[in-house]
Amino acid sequence: MGFVSVILGFCGFGVGISTGMVLGYYLFIHFQPCDVKDPVIRPLVEQDSQSLLRLLPEIPLWVKNPDYDRIDWLNKFLEVMWPYLDKAICKTAKNIATPIIAEQIPKYKIESVEFESLTLGSLPPTFQGMKVYLTEEKELIMEPSLKWAGNPNVTIALRAFGLKATVQVVDLQVFAQPRITLKPLVPSFPCFAKILVSLMEKPHVDFGLKLAGADLMSIPGLYQFVQELIKDQVANMYLWPKTLEVEILDPTKAMKKPVGILHVKVLRALKLRKKDLLGASDPYVKLKLTETKAPSKKTTVKHKNLNPEWNEEFSMVVKDPQTQALELHVYDWEQIGKHEKMGMNVVPLKELPPDEPKTLTLDLLKTMDPNDVQNDKMRGQIVVELTYKPFKEEDLPKEIENSSAVQKAPEGTPPGGGVLVVTVHEAQDVEGKHHTNPYVRIIFRGEERKTKQIKKNRDPRWAEEFTFMLEEPPLKDKLHVEVLSTSTRIGLLHPKETLGYVDISLADVVSNKRINEKFHLIDSKNGRIQIELQWQTS
Amino acid sequence: MGLISGMVMGMLFGIALMAGWKYMMQHRGTKRVAKAVDIKLLSSLNREDMKKICGENLPEWISFPVFEQVKWLNKQLAKLWPFIADAAEAVIKESVEPLLEEYRPPGITSLKFSKLSLGTVAPKIEGIRVQSLKEGQITMDIDLRWGGDPSIILAVEAALVASIPIQLKDLKVFTVVRAIFQLADEIPCISAVVVALLAEPKPRIDYTLKAVGGSLTAIPGISDMIDDTVNTIVTDMLQWPHRIVVPIGGIPVDTSELELKPVGKLTVTVIRANELKNMELIGKSDPYVVVHIRPLFKVKTKVIENNLNPVWNQTFDLIAEDKETQSLILEVFDQDIGQDKRLGIAKLPLIELEAEKSKEFDLRLLPSLDMLKIKDKKDRGTLTIQVLYHEFNKEEQLAALEEEKRILEERKKLKEAGPHCRFWGWYGRYSVIGAGVGLVGTGLGAGVGIVGSGLGAVGSGLSKAGKFMGRTITGHSSSSKRSGSSTPVNPQENGGAKPL
Repeated sequence: MGFVSVILGFCGFGVGISTGMVLGYYLFIHFQPCDVKDPVIRPLVEQDSQSLLRLLPEIPLWVKNPDYDRIDWLNKFLEVMWPYLDKAICKTAKNIATPIIAEQIPKYKIESVEFESLTLGSLPPTFQGMKVYLTEEKELIMEPSLKWAGNPNVTIALRAFGLKATVQVVDLQVFAQPRITLKPLVPSFPCFAKILVSLMEKPHVDFGLKLAGADLMSIPGLYQFVQELIKDQVANMYLWPKTLEVEILDPTKAMKKPVGILHVKVLRALKLRKKDLLGASDPYVKLKLTETKAPSKKTTVKHKNLNPEWNEEFSMVVKDPQTQALELHVYDWEQIGKHEKMGMNVVPLKELPPDEPKTLTLDLLKTMDPNDVQNDKMRGQIVVELTYKPFKEEDLPKEIENSSAVQKAPEGTPPGGGVLVVTVHEAQDVEGKHHTNPYVRIIFRGEERKTKQIKKNRDPRWAEEFTFMLEEPPLKDKLHVEVLSTSTRIGLLHPKETLGYVDISLADVVSNKRINEKFHLIDSKNGRIQIELQWQTS
Repeated sequence: MGLISGMVMGMLFGIALMAGWKYMMQHRGTKRVAKAVDIKLLSSLNREDMKKICGENLPEWISFPVFEQVKWLNKQLAKLWPFIADAAEAVIKESVEPLLEEYRPPGITSLKFSKLSLGTVAPKIEGIRVQSLKEGQITMDIDLRWGGDPSIILAVEAALVASIPIQLKDLKVFTVVRAIFQLADEIPCISAVVVALLAEPKPRIDYTLKAVGGSLTAIPGISDMIDDTVNTIVTDMLQWPHRIVVPIGGIPVDTSELELKPVGKLTVTVIRANELKNMELIGKSDPYVVVHIRPLFKVKTKVIENNLNPVWNQTFDLIAEDKETQSLILEVFDQDIGQDKRLGIAKLPLIELEAEKSKEFDLRLLPSLDMLKIKDKKDRGTLTIQVLYHEFNKEEQLAALEEEKRILEERKKLKEAGPHCRFWGWYGRYSVIGAGVGLVGTGLGAGVGIVGSGLGAVGSGLSKAGKFMGRTITGHSSSSKRSGSSTPVNPQENGGAKPL
């Protein structure tokens, strides 16, 4: 009897617990309000010591650490912008999600899925400090401390088999410490080519997930499990050294690397107009590619000739064949005074077929303006042969990362040997007694190289590269780097001055392959020079 | 018995379980909300809050200036500067050079940059202040200082003289840039940016002009004239309430609200002056008054010869754009052979006026509006004027706008017709300065762009949002281009507009 009674008791317990839970659900949970209210925020000054104690672990980093900077202005900016951002982000999210949902639901026999509410709440993300790191490389590194404890309300209603279920996400909190690296830096706006984001610590994630009004995340144990799961997932993807890359500019374009060579053969000109009072003109041709800083090239002067034959060849480096153009100017040479223009024309490079010589006969014009009446006059013609040779794919430097990593030595390097590449970047606080027109002289095994001189500058930037081909690794050698200044005036008193020097042992370079450091100059007050050394082996 | 007791037990247990869950829900819910509130509170702290939290242990490195310091931004800017300078140089050359060519005054055959380098010293942001003065707008004030070493050489080729290279060096810009962001409901959430230099504190732009292989001082008065021109350009183009409006791509919005519009008409009657200073050796001064609100629209009275207590009784209509910040400027000059001498200047802030009420003012003449430049306390006499301010309604406003456009058009035509006023000789120099200021504008624009990209970079921490912000970066940089190119256009009109 007792045994049957126990069995029955268990059965009763089983039935009772389910009825109890249903009853309990309706009693306690079902009538809980589902909407999210804005929290009441009292100013800090009014708070009691109890709540202040609770605040302490959340004190922003800029208060605790002097190397973090306060960015409350950005918080304020975000705060004002937040309602607009909220609307914009939610609208975009809805627009993206709706077609995907519409496509997916027939598979699962669900009637409809819709957002009952979608808002990110009234609390914006906040930055609790910003730290930046300075390195010698071409990159910017910053680490904001980001905390978003929001009050979003995302409610999704599912309808299937005539039943309705709602899933609601509330009180989402994300604390993260991302590292944002902008690199490489390039000389065109916005001045960096890529944004790299990675997390320095596992992020903190917390939220409430309500299924039919009951918060699943408050079941003891489940929250910890879910949080760990999310943390691990995110960590797998973005925890340093793993990164998220966002490309802003095409790096090869941004760096303006050469992509090809234009061969120009100036053949002849026909029926040039006479410009000189006495005798015929003395024509010569000036060639220039647009958008380059390279000086223009000139042919020889053909004296007293209105149908000159040059047959001279030139080659020019092309950086962007889509926008660049070749400018041809014909000038009249003069012994005295200004050389007179005889006419010009422009050939856009995109009109040239690659790797094919093309002979063009161009009319010489006064200006490139098509409406200019002066262009109706005949100024003669010029005949040129143009060949645009783009570099082969393999000739191009593949990836931009390789530019900072050590490259392979070029072919022809002796085995066991390599190439020493010395890049003189910049110097700071160099000062001469009488003049400061600094240039750098580097001496390696008696070989001497010089950078160009920069006038009147205490913080010069050279960014010049020198290469030395070597038979064997320079394990015992030293590189002598010297900053010198010469007077710009022809003064006999202080013609030349040493602003400082440094000897760099090259053994480290061989073992590290690449060193990029600032060296303190000897015989200088507090001058420093940044030198990059690379040892490239085949 | 067993069944029933089991059921009762089970039910109780079930209910208790639910009650416990509810308790947990509430507990966790309140905890999360409390944390959210804490984080929100800590996002903007002031001195009192800090004292409350830290008590005696307030770290000494913390200060709360009105303009928040941005050391990190300056570090980044310094590092990025060589690249920005390179990029900006190309942009300036590309955008300003055709403009120079287009607005090249007659008599000068070519106007080109022969050298343009922004130097190695990066601008410094002394501080940033963010306010929300108006619904849907964010006002950001950037205290910008640039004591740079740019080297800008302009090659000026005149028809008669050979090429004159003019060098602009030791450029120093100290100013507060105000950027107003107009917010919108679409990504990137900013529909337009308004950029202006704050009038208070007055923008300071210093520079040295040097003719390479010659001397500018050879022509007397040119330095003053250049200063005056630059001042006019800055005050009339860039200084608040004048502004540059840059719509950010993507969102078609009506930016006309942000533009400067005529709001009222000021009827000024210059009645008389008393006890003016005598500036001439023989006889007495020949005074006349120049009246303006915007330097672009100056009007002057007739000259009354040989009189220190002249009576003019002349009436002018002037247009006001911003009653809160603009002032009526009255300058008394002595007509002379050569350059006219200034006898005194007076200022009447428009905010002191009541609409539709005629009022008489006795204004004391001062040697200069800049209090730092005033050295003596000599009495320079008084000027008596009668002022009536009339506020525009919609139609009148439109009409005034049209009128303004028409006047500018006419002036342009007049300018094209050829040189006919005695200031044409200086014209070449004006345009040079215009270009210089254009550069400054671009520099500022670039600065704003950098700040923008800084923002963008930070924003990219928000993973996906980062992409959108990334797009804004380019928007910003193009804005700097635009501000650079739009500036030098109007100085030209300016130079021609001086009815002196």
